Amino acid sequence: MKRIGLVILDLKEYIILTVLIIFSLYFIFSNDNSQIRFLRAVAIGTFGTVQSGLTAIPNVFELQQENKLLRETNIKLANEISNLKESKLENIRLTKLLNFREENKLSFVSGRIVNKSLVQTRNTITINAGEADSVFINMPVVTVEGLAGRIVSTGRNYSIANILYNKDMRITVKSQRTRIDGILMYDGLQNLIMTNVLKSADLTAGDLIITSEYSNLFPPGIPVGTVTETGNLDNLFKKVVITPAVNFQTLEEVFILKHLPDKDRADLENSYQKKK
Amino acid sequence: MRFNIIKYPIILLALILLQKSFISVIALSKLNITPDIVLIAVIYIGIKEGKIGGSVYGFFAGLLLDILSGSFVGLLALAYTVSGFVAGFFKTEGDRFLSKYNFLLVTFICSLISCFLYYGLYSRGTSTGFADVMLLYVFTSATYTTLISMVILVIPKRKTLERGFTD
Repeated sequence: MKRIGLVILDLKEYIILTVLIIFSLYFIFSNDNSQIRFLRAVAIGTFGTVQSGLTAIPNVFELQQENKLLRETNIKLANEISNLKESKLENIRLTKLLNFREENKLSFVSGRIVNKSLVQTRNTITINAGEADSVFINMPVVTVEGLAGRIVSTGRNYSIANILYNKDMRITVKSQRTRIDGILMYDGLQNLIMTNVLKSADLTAGDLIITSEYSNLFPPGIPVGTVTETGNLDNLFKKVVITPAVNFQTLEEVFILKHLPDKDRADLENSYQKKK
Repeated sequence: MRFNIIKYPIILLALILLQKSFISVIALSKLNITPDIVLIAVIYIGIKEGKIGGSVYGFFAGLLLDILSGSFVGLLALAYTVSGFVAGFFKTEGDRFLSKYNFLLVTFICSLISCFLYYGLYSRGTSTGFADVMLLYVFTSATYTTLISMVILVIPKRKTLERGFTD
C-alpha cells in the first residue's frame, strides 16, 4: 500500500496532466461543430478498427459470463421441451381415452396409477379411485389398449388391482379369430401363458386374444393380448405365450369398469361346486 | 508560494483581458498571425513552478479564453495544459531557463507545441492542408509569440534591482 502511494506520488505530475487532458477533451467533444464532428468520426473509426481487431482475442470473463447465460438458457429450454413432450404425450393419451369413452358403452371410473410393482410374482397397481368413486372389489381394470387387471382391494379413495402379471390372476380368454378357449395365467417369470389349449387347436402368432363370455368376472370381448409364440407343452396341450395388449411399464391411467360378477350365476356355480 | 497563488491568477486574468481586448493592435491581421501573450505567461509559470503549476494554470487560463471566445471550448485548455507541462521540464535551480535567450528557446518550443495542438485540431475537417497549417499558422504564430516574449527579457529582475540599489 505504501509502495503504491509512493508510486502515485512519483507520478502525480503525469496523473494531473492526464486528468487535465481528459477534462480538455471532454470539453472539446462537448462542442458540436464541423471540426469536432470530423474528429469524432476519426476517433470512432480508429476505435472501431482497434476494437474489431481486439474482438479476435477471446475475453475470458465475457466468455464465462456468456457460457453461464447459455447454460441457464439451455436448462430452461430443456425443461420447456420436456414439459412440451409431456403435454404432447398426455394429449395423445387423453385423446385416446376420450375415444375409448365414446366407444365403450359400460360406465366406468377413471383413475391415475399412484403406485405399481412389476418385478414380483404378484404384481399390483394402486389407483387413486376408491369406494367413494363407486369402485368395488372384482371390477375389471382396463385401458384403451385392453385388459389390465382386476380390483382386489378397495379403500375410500384408493384401490389396489391385480394386474395380468400376477400369479393369482386366472382369466378365461379366447382367440378372436378361431374362438379357441383357454385360461390366461402368469407363469411367475416373464410370460403370460394361455393354458388348456389342445395341441390340435388353430392358434398362430399374431392372433388376438380377448376375454371370453364364459368369464363371470370380465365382460366379453376385451382385448387381452396377442399370441407371440406357440409350442408343445406336453402330449395333449399347447404352450401359448401371450404378449399383453397393455404396456405395464408405461401405464399411467386406467379405467375401472363398473361391472360386477353376476351374483345369481356366481351363487349357482358355487352351490353346484359344493354339492359335487 | 502563497503569494504566487494569488499573483499568477491575477496576472493571467490581466493578460487574458489584454489578449481579448488589445491584441489586435499588434496582430498581423493580413497574415493571420496573432501573438499569444497568455501562453508566454503560462510558459513562465511552468518554468518557475514546474510541471504541475504550468499544466494547472495553463488549463484554467486556456479554458477561460475558450469560454470567452465561445467557438471551440477545451481546445486552448488542452494546448496550454500541454505547453505548461512541457515548460515545467525546464524548471531548474536558479531559474536558468528564465534568463537571457534560454527563455526564448523554451517559449519557442512550447509555443510550437501549443500552436501545433491548437491549429492542428482546429483545422481538422476543413479544406486547409496539414503543410499549410504548419507553415501559415503554427510556425508563424510560434515565432511571433517568441518575439513578443522578448519583452520579459527587458523587464529587470528583482535580484538585479536589489544588486543595483546596494551598489
